[in-house]
Amino acid sequence: MRLHYFELVLFSTYAELRAERSRSYLGLIWWVLEPAMNMAVYYLVFSVILRSPQPDYVPFLLVGLTLWQWFKSCISHGGYSIWQQLPLIRQVKLPSVVFPSVQILADTVKFFYIMILLVAILWYAGYTPHVQYVALVPVLLVELVFAAGAAYCVAAIVPLLPDLRFVIEQVLQVMLFVSGIVFSLDAVPEPMRRWFAWNPIAVLVDAGRGILLYARWPDWFALGRVALISLVLYAFGALLIQWLHPRYVKLPA
Amino acid sequence: MKQGGALVTLENVGVAFNAQLRVGSPRFWALEDVSLELRSGDRLGVIGRNGAGKSTLLRTIAGIVAPDRGRIRRAPVSCQLLSLALGFMPHLSGRDNAVLSGLMLGLRRREIDARLPAILDFSELGDFFEQPISSYSTGMLMRLGFSVAMQVEPDVLLIDEILAVGDAEFQQKSGAALRERIHGGTTVVFVSHRDEQISQVCNRALWIEHGRSVMQGDVADVLKAYHADPHALGVPTAA
Repeated sequence: MRLHYFELVLFSTYAELRAERSRSYLGLIWWVLEPAMNMAVYYLVFSVILRSPQPDYVPFLLVGLTLWQWFKSCISHGGYSIWQQLPLIRQVKLPSVVFPSVQILADTVKFFYIMILLVAILWYAGYTPHVQYVALVPVLLVELVFAAGAAYCVAAIVPLLPDLRFVIEQVLQVMLFVSGIVFSLDAVPEPMRRWFAWNPIAVLVDAGRGILLYARWPDWFALGRVALISLVLYAFGALLIQWLHPRYVKLPA
Repeated sequence: MKQGGALVTLENVGVAFNAQLRVGSPRFWALEDVSLELRSGDRLGVIGRNGAGKSTLLRTIAGIVAPDRGRIRRAPVSCQLLSLALGFMPHLSGRDNAVLSGLMLGLRRREIDARLPAILDFSELGDFFEQPISSYSTGMLMRLGFSVAMQVEPDVLLIDEILAVGDAEFQQKSGAALRERIHGGTTVVFVSHRDEQISQVCNRALWIEHGRSVMQGDVADVLKAYHADPHALGVPTAA
């Protein structure tokens, strides 16, 4: 991306966050409050009502949901961004990849607020900081690339096939369950579990939990494989947007 | 690259849009067959009835829309549509919107920052410049939009019917600023369905009809031919 577009993405991200802040009374507080409320719902269902027998279930759930919600918001905001910006795309010559990038960056900024809160809660609950925290850097970086790649792919196709929106929410719901966010994948029977190892989100969430809760270094081989998948997906998504861009301007208004 | 000063050349260009978002829906040819040559310093007026394809032609020259047939050749120059309030977001201040719009129009951040005082001055917004534009009146919004748009100085300026904006007083000012830009040596393509505007602004004219270029040349000649054509005057022809 040329430097000029980089400036545009950065400023648009700032504009997006700022506009979002002024659209509600509580503004910034919602960035944290909304995911916290969402987590409370899962906590209520799985910990209080279903009484999960798993030890450390609450921190297990909180870490999983924090990493999951970041991914999910990138898909649902970034994925619809080109479709939503079609009027602008018809008016000015800009690479379409700018629009999902802005949403992903904005969601990443919001994620960092939640991440800080999560770490604070974990410390308070007795999960003290340790040197393994540095492994969060590659884990989060890989998740960012994977989320961006997936969001680019969705963003590329939704303008041409808006019906996809109805499917995406369901796919995300399924992904939530097969990624071991709300229950441990240890509960999955062995032959199936092999396939789950290919799910980038499952690997990333597992690595994140290991670091934050058990001071465990990630499985570097699995992380490397996910990094490779993510990079391929990212490149594919970016190229797909570039390739389909000429069609966006010719869609019916 | 340049061929006798030609900045943009269109050869039998056609542009098709999807009429509907349906599988196998027919395409609609907004431009059928347009040829034109735009030379450095030209002030080309495009005339034609509603739906003739004038706006699509501008967006094709701007590079927003790619042709589906024919060829377009562009020297390494910037072609920019004069767009007001492009990308404005209601909850942001006038200043932030000016920066955002400027970036979308192709300016670098430091260029916009350097021009913010000029934008503030020209738009006459005063303290409102720091307020969210959702608190602006339509006139204020127009003033801000025009002031930002005028900061962009493309090699080829494409204008779709806009010659002035705002209330009576600002119309004078914006009209004068735009005329100064147009006659200051910038290459201009100006679309209008009003021929008196074309003859005021342009030194050459192109007439398009049903997405086809009918005639290109001297303004007076093209306008004369355009008026001689019964379709152009909206006179119903015998079925």
